Amino acid sequence: MRKLFNLTLGVVTSIGGFVEVGSISTSAQAGAEFGFSLLWAVAVATLFLAALAEMAGRLAAVSKRSMAAAVRERFGIHFQIIPLSAELVIDTLLLTAELGGVAIAIKMLTGIGFQWWILPVGLVAWLVLWLGNFSVIEDGIGLLGMVTLSFVVAAWRLHPTAGQVVGGFVPTVPHHDITRYAFMTVSIIGATVSPYLLNFYSSGAIEEKWTEQDLWINRLTAWFGMGFGSTVAMGCLVTAAIVLGPQHVKVETYEQAAQMFVPVYGRWAVTLFALSLGIGCFGAAVEIALNAGYVLGQSLGWTWGIDKKRRDTSRFVAAFSLVLLLAVAIASIGFDPLRVTLISVALTVVIMPLVVLPFLVLMNDEQYVGRHTSGPIGNGLLATITILGALMAMVVIPLEILGG
Amino acid sequence: MDIVRDVLDTRVVDRNGREMGRVDGIVVDCQPNQPCRLAAIVIGPAALGDRLHPALGQFVRRLEKRFGLDQNRPAQIEFADVDEIETKIRLRLTISDTAVDAVEKRLRAWVGRLPGAR
Repeated sequence: MRKLFNLTLGVVTSIGGFVEVGSISTSAQAGAEFGFSLLWAVAVATLFLAALAEMAGRLAAVSKRSMAAAVRERFGIHFQIIPLSAELVIDTLLLTAELGGVAIAIKMLTGIGFQWWILPVGLVAWLVLWLGNFSVIEDGIGLLGMVTLSFVVAAWRLHPTAGQVVGGFVPTVPHHDITRYAFMTVSIIGATVSPYLLNFYSSGAIEEKWTEQDLWINRLTAWFGMGFGSTVAMGCLVTAAIVLGPQHVKVETYEQAAQMFVPVYGRWAVTLFALSLGIGCFGAAVEIALNAGYVLGQSLGWTWGIDKKRRDTSRFVAAFSLVLLLAVAIASIGFDPLRVTLISVALTVVIMPLVVLPFLVLMNDEQYVGRHTSGPIGNGLLATITILGALMAMVVIPLEILGG
Repeated sequence: MDIVRDVLDTRVVDRNGREMGRVDGIVVDCQPNQPCRLAAIVIGPAALGDRLHPALGQFVRRLEKRFGLDQNRPAQIEFADVDEIETKIRLRLTISDTAVDAVEKRLRAWVGRLPGAR
């Protein structure tokens, strides 16, 4: 039975992918500006993330190595240093943005300026990591994360027509703002498929002591988990499309985005939106900080793991504490979470081919995955993601300037 | 054995299975008219830095010296002390025979003092 609870690893990972500060804003913006027409981009991001997570989990379950460890061993430090450095920079930027997201959510609930909440939020995140174990973190965030289903309920109660929804899954060239449309597409994929999620997921599989016998759980966890996050992101996009679209609102603040809940939840709209945003961002913040410890510990060969005694994993503890401290410091200086998200999305897209390419090799190397190598579908998908990633990497900077 | 594939960057554990780090560098002994042989493995961030760029290795050494953590670091382990090489490298030594955990020990003194440290 406990094995089935492992599904929460997928839910928690998907919250970091689909229901955090960057993804909520991009889904809301996409819906408000382009109606249902970018639903396909969320679907593509789901396919990418679920497939990559399944592979990261399979690699961990069979080889007992996380992604970072496998990449260092198979490709050496000269290759790994590039994705590793990029991941640490992206982790810090995203963590800054997530802390800001939680602080903005609390501001919406209390009316007290968001800067005042950065330090307390950082401290609570650190306490969760210091005192919690992996089960507490994944089950806690997974359970609290259910509040984000309010996006799905809202979309459901607004009664979109089947034709509108199905039409959104067919990529079409819009009649207006083509650059902005392309920018939103890249943003949705870039905000969702963060490299840290893959390492977090594979590290989680090791923390949960998955073995080859758990590969079916891994498959279920990856697809069910990402399905959960994807449904929430689509709920957000559809709600924004129906409520904010006709009002021609261009979402530039989270307060504007919260208005999408008003027709459904009335006076509870802001509270529910803030809770969804706050819990999603807090879950992502804890995951990102933890992943910074994971990725450094695994790459450099330290003893690591949130289930181990803290005094036996001092460097791992120091690593997640320092990254958290750095993010709190950057966030406290004063910044715009949306702008920080924009930079990290661009970096994520630029680095995506270098994150995905090692999978193509590792998932076909019997020394790592034994007889569970990828088939033609898995390899075809990886090749597609690599090529699409490289194409997006080439256009992301001009798009950021023109479309953002 | 392919040194680059099977040794470099591989996990190293002591004879009790404790994590010692990864092979950050190797020492190769080359004598005239004889094949080169692997003399030692090196563990430590300074050796890793050296591989990426000598200036980075130098920077790490200065940092370690400043904090008094440079004694016997990076740790050079004779190849004779390697027990087996599989998916990880197992040594005949224990971690306390080397200085690989000097940073861990220093941090443990702080982390261990915090309330709730388990």
